[in-house]
Amino acid sequence: MSELSKLTELRKLMLDMEHAMGLQELSTVERDVYYAASDCTSASDSVRTNRIREHAIVASMSRPTFFRALKSLVGKGYLEQSGNASRGRYLVKTPK
Amino acid sequence: MKSLAIETTAVSLFYLMASFIAFAIVMPVQQSLFPALENRASLLFLPHGVKVLAAWLLGWRSSIALFPGVLIVFAYFAGWGVFAPHRMSAVMTAVLVPAAVFSLVKLLGWDLSPESGRRPRWASIMIVGLLISVVSSILSNLAYGNSPQNYVAYLIGDFFGLFFLCLILMFVFRAWRSRAIPHG
Repeated sequence: MSELSKLTELRKLMLDMEHAMGLQELSTVERDVYYAASDCTSASDSVRTNRIREHAIVASMSRPTFFRALKSLVGKGYLEQSGNASRGRYLVKTPK
Repeated sequence: MKSLAIETTAVSLFYLMASFIAFAIVMPVQQSLFPALENRASLLFLPHGVKVLAAWLLGWRSSIALFPGVLIVFAYFAGWGVFAPHRMSAVMTAVLVPAAVFSLVKLLGWDLSPESGRRPRWASIMIVGLLISVVSSILSNLAYGNSPQNYVAYLIGDFFGLFFLCLILMFVFRAWRSRAIPHG
C-alpha cells in the first residue's frame, strides 16, 4: 500500500467517524461513491466514471442511485468534472 | 526499505509529539485536578491512539515504525535504565501488542485491514483499541507491579487517548477538506 493509499484509508476512517457522530453532510450512498472515487484516483489524476462504477463498494448500487450521488457530489464540490478531458472524468477534491 | 524508513520516521515522530502532549500538557493539568492518581497513568494518553492507528494501517510493520519513538520516550524517563528487563518488556509490549491484537482478531475472522474495496469502521477500530489497551495494561502492570487502580487509569487514558486522537484527525481532515472544497 503506497503512502497516498494509507492517507486515503485514514481519511476514509475519519469520514466514517464523522458519519457516526452525525457531523457529515454526505449521505451513506454519497460517502460510498466518494470513497470509491478516492480509491480509484491518484494525487492529481482524474478518474473515469466506469472505474468508480466498478469499485467493490459501489458495485451493488443501482445505476440511477450511483449517478444521482455522483451529480450530488459534484454539486457539493467533493468531485469536479475534469475540464481538459472528455465527459465522464472526475477529479477528487482531496486535501492539498 | 525507503517506505519503511518513511513510515518509521513519521510514526515515531507522531508518537513523540503525542507523548509530549500527554506528559507535558495533560499530566500537569490532571495532577492538579486528580492529585490522588499516582504514577504515570495519563487519563488522556494520546500515544495509545498513535499505536492503534499505526497498527491498523501498517500491520506488523508498525512494530518497527513505533520502536524508536517508544524507546526514546522510555529513555527520557528512565535514562540508561531503559535497558532494564522490566522496562524492555514494557517497550516490547508497547510495540508488539497492537499489531498482535489486530492479527489475532483477523485470525478469529474479524478482518479490519485497510483495503481499497473495504469500508473502514471507526467503531470497530475503537473496540480493537480497547482490546489492545486491556492486553497492554495487563502486561505493562505485570512488568511494573502497579496497583489495580492504575489498571483502570490506563484503560481510561488509552480509550480517551484513541478517541481524542481520532477527533483531532477528523477535524484536521475536515479543515483540509473545507480548504479544498469552496463552500457557498
